[in-house]
Amino acid sequence: MWASRQRLVGIASALLYIIHCQLYINQVDFRHDILPLKNIIFRTALRIILNREEAEDIVQDTLVKLWERREELDEVENLEAFALTMARNLAIDRKEKMDNQHVSFDDEAHDRPDDEQGDADRRLVQRETTGFIADIINSLPEKQRTLVQLRDIEGKTYQEIATVLSISESDVKVSLFRARKEMREKILQKKSLFL
Amino acid sequence: MDYKYIEQLLESYFSCTTTLQEEQILRSFFSQEDVPGHLVQYADLFNYEAEAKEATLGEDFDERLMARIEATESKDQQVEKARVIKMATPHFAPFFKAAAVVAMALTVGRAAEHAIGEQEAEENSNIVAVDPYIKTGDVQQAIRVKDVSQAEMKATNDSIISISTDDEIQ
Repeated sequence: MWASRQRLVGIASALLYIIHCQLYINQVDFRHDILPLKNIIFRTALRIILNREEAEDIVQDTLVKLWERREELDEVENLEAFALTMARNLAIDRKEKMDNQHVSFDDEAHDRPDDEQGDADRRLVQRETTGFIADIINSLPEKQRTLVQLRDIEGKTYQEIATVLSISESDVKVSLFRARKEMREKILQKKSLFL
Repeated sequence: MDYKYIEQLLESYFSCTTTLQEEQILRSFFSQEDVPGHLVQYADLFNYEAEAKEATLGEDFDERLMARIEATESKDQQVEKARVIKMATPHFAPFFKAAAVVAMALTVGRAAEHAIGEQEAEENSNIVAVDPYIKTGDVQQAIRVKDVSQAEMKATNDSIISISTDDEIQ
């Protein structure tokens, strides 16, 4: 009787220890698991919103949200993809709000063509550098420039990108194809201008 | 010099059939100083792809973020605060936890033993109650006394219930 009870206690404590170990392994650590995502989130958010301060805010919001939801993150297969999806949604929302606010500014700008001319001049100066490529990518539709960011700059697989954007892999390829085609055309246009 | 391979890779790149590795080869190729004239227009593209990955957030960002995390943490309960401390000493955390788990298991085990022991003691108490008759060896008498006392108890209970029901009627 005594011996069997001892054995029972032994088995119970061993089980408890195993369960505890599982819990510890799955526990999310902020500095180790979440903070290292900041740079890829920043670059991706910046590509969508095209404003450095706003992009930094989005990174903060995304990482804080991830930390607040850390209990649920066990079920997330790819934390980076999950974080990028969150950041992208935040960035798209903010971009829309910003664009709505800027409509009024744009109207005012029409009365001052000098400024627009100044912008165009600056763009001309940048043409010699890679800034020209940034302009091409940033003028693409949001989905396409996010794809270029994730594939050509971050070096992600089609599967990972499909997960982030919640679309199929073939959809990723079709949109990326359009984006690269557009980039090529603009590059060749520039070349013909200089010849 | 023959650039057929690179030209092929470029065509594959623009039709989205290159692998990640091949795209890396293109970036490496265009990062060199002397790119041939007929390909030079693509140099900016691949150089930009490489340099755009260097945009990072500095330590000042980390500080601001950690301040915000700690602010939200302190709003939470004591349990949440304990977690912040755990994060600061990640190397020792498993040992403390293991010790806690062992202590818990031992406590639970002891409690279980104690409970089982008490149950057994209770079972024995029925016999102890009729001890005097057992001592004389008259087990029959002992059982009868126990039955009588139970019958008395039932009678008392019934009277209490009838009194209480009378009260309710009144």
